Amino acid sequence: MRPRGRVWVIGWLLFFLAILAWVVARQTASVVAATELGDLREARAQLEARQAELLTRIRAGKSRRVLIPRAEGLGLRLPADSEIIILQVPGGEKR
Amino acid sequence: MAKPAVRLGVVQVAFGLAIVAVVARAAQVQLVEGAAYRARAREQRTERVVLPARRGAIYDRSGVPLALTRDVYHVGVAPRELRDRARDATTIARALGLSRRAVDRALRRPYAYFRGPYTASRVEPLREVRGVHLTHQLERFYPSGDFARSLIGWPEDEGRPASGLERTLDTLLAGRAGSAVVLRDGQGRRYESPARLGALPIPGHDVYLTLDAALQDIVERALAEAIERYDAAGGDVVVLAPHTGEVLAVASRRADGSVPPTAFTSVFEPGSTAKIFAAAALLEANLVTERDSVYAERGVWVQPYRTIRDDHPAEWLTLRGAIQVSSNIGIVKFADRLDPARQYLMLRAFGFGAPTGIEFPAESRGSLERPDRWSGVSAASLAMGYEVAVTPLQLAAGYAAIAHDGVLLRPTLVRETRAADGAVRHRHRPEPVRRVVRPGVARELRAMLRAVVFEGGTGSTAALSAYELAGKTGTARRATGRGYSPGAYTATFASLFPADQPQLVMVVKLDDPRGAYARLTAAPVTRSVIEQALAARTTALDARRLGTEAAPARRATVGTGSVPHVVAWPPPSAPPPAAERRVPDVTGLSLRAAAAALHQSGFQVRVRGWGLVAAMAPAPGTSAAAGTVVTLVAAAPGGR
Repeated sequence: MRPRGRVWVIGWLLFFLAILAWVVARQTASVVAATELGDLREARAQLEARQAELLTRIRAGKSRRVLIPRAEGLGLRLPADSEIIILQVPGGEKR
Repeated sequence: MAKPAVRLGVVQVAFGLAIVAVVARAAQVQLVEGAAYRARAREQRTERVVLPARRGAIYDRSGVPLALTRDVYHVGVAPRELRDRARDATTIARALGLSRRAVDRALRRPYAYFRGPYTASRVEPLREVRGVHLTHQLERFYPSGDFARSLIGWPEDEGRPASGLERTLDTLLAGRAGSAVVLRDGQGRRYESPARLGALPIPGHDVYLTLDAALQDIVERALAEAIERYDAAGGDVVVLAPHTGEVLAVASRRADGSVPPTAFTSVFEPGSTAKIFAAAALLEANLVTERDSVYAERGVWVQPYRTIRDDHPAEWLTLRGAIQVSSNIGIVKFADRLDPARQYLMLRAFGFGAPTGIEFPAESRGSLERPDRWSGVSAASLAMGYEVAVTPLQLAAGYAAIAHDGVLLRPTLVRETRAADGAVRHRHRPEPVRRVVRPGVARELRAMLRAVVFEGGTGSTAALSAYELAGKTGTARRATGRGYSPGAYTATFASLFPADQPQLVMVVKLDDPRGAYARLTAAPVTRSVIEQALAARTTALDARRLGTEAAPARRATVGTGSVPHVVAWPPPSAPPPAAERRVPDVTGLSLRAAAAALHQSGFQVRVRGWGLVAAMAPAPGTSAAAGTVVTLVAAAPGGR
């Protein structure tokens, strides 16, 4: 009877430890996931901030306020409508 | 003295009562007041926070971002928590773009706060610094700076009221805030608790406007230059797509550099640009035939209450001639055939005196009095474009109805809305308001507007070389509180481009320009905008529907009744036709190289197919006049 009782106790103890380990593992995994999520959020925010800065610079660089004075400085001028040839690219054609 | 047994009994009873009291109190705390204590404890340990929703973005019709939402941070520093104060102060100063002295001064306080806001990339070096605390916030951001600012407006923020499209579209853009419960320790520090998320925030919808960024840039710059060149008090430009009602570009500007949205909110008397609407009423009611003419009094017509003058004195004018030379006398005499109700209803039908319904707050309805309130001269004034006040947008919508075969469309600024997952929630479809005139009448009106841009018309300064434009000038006296100001005018040019199948309807209005006349101010601005649009990469113009052939020979009968007034074409002042030249051989070249070679030789090019030039007409080596269209037939290398 006594060895059997000890086995029961050890069995319950092991079961308890296993449950405990499972809970700890889950919590550890969730903490790691939360940390990764936070890092990714930060990374995304940084990338978006960078994208916004670049967009601002691109928009400013493409604006006529910037381009036209530079073009005029290079001796270029706005073409008259008769000097513009619109190439009518065939639409919907597949190679 | 009591017996020991009694004393023991008393002590037992006392202990018993004490235990009962403790149990009773415990029961009261647990059972009766338990819920309240639990709630209090929860309040102390947790906090419900609002999770702000990301506001939807605003794009132009091609996806160019005009308004975005980004993460920004306020920076708080607890100096006592810093590990190395000197080194950390340098890091903070460098990251935030502040002087070291300013940071040192701030760090002398128990808690330093740098409001910013600072972008994520700027605060990145501070994340690892102990003692630095970042407060996250979402901020509205406009990557294009002042681009279309008065139109886009601002969302409501810290007491500043919302304006522009940010206000009108707020319910779409705002999204729905979420909520979460965070844990709080005894010192008030918050800890995220993923298990206690109440509701996720729902991001707002993204809105795609009808604006075309390239065209908008052209229009804004052209308007600013025109105001400076003509020393005008201000001006507006509106560009519409006549077959959809989409607003492709809109710019308003004052001489002081401010950009109030006057294209929607401010009214003016359209002057001669409204003569076409009187003509519409006459044609729709079949009150004028092509050959009908009136005597234009050689430019001065003395009436009992006023004298009507023309800038281009004439004798006999047809309705088309009256529109072409913008004759006040002619249009007043023709409009005399209209009864007031018909004249009023036609102006109402074109949308004057009522808001267009565009998605912009505080749109003006303009003003147009009912006939029972008219004076004896109102009918004549209305025919000349006075006693009616319109916004530039209303005028553009009216001209768009002429371009759209007589159907008035509701103008719109919103092309599409999409949910955060990209699903399309709304896509604009043309919204007809009413049929204003029959298609045949609209066609005749367009022919009249074409005549205005011919040689001899008031709008000839807007004429292009290779494409036909239709339009109408208007130079109207400006009213102040005490009548009309002497020498002050509003110059307007309303146009349809190209004249045949209009893709753009444009209204250019300049307030009190030096040079006054629209033909010298607003009309050249229109031509410049169209030339720039042709040269730009804009989706507002469908190149497939724009021929590269020169404008067809302009039929010259544009004017008069009994004595036809024929405008010679080309005009005598035009340079003599260019001598014939040899067509270069460009077969085997790429389309780009072939087009460049032909262009240098003075020819125009039409392309069929794609790839290398396989054939061409006229054939290489033959002679052709400069400007002749050379058709290139291209085929992919190795293809048929």
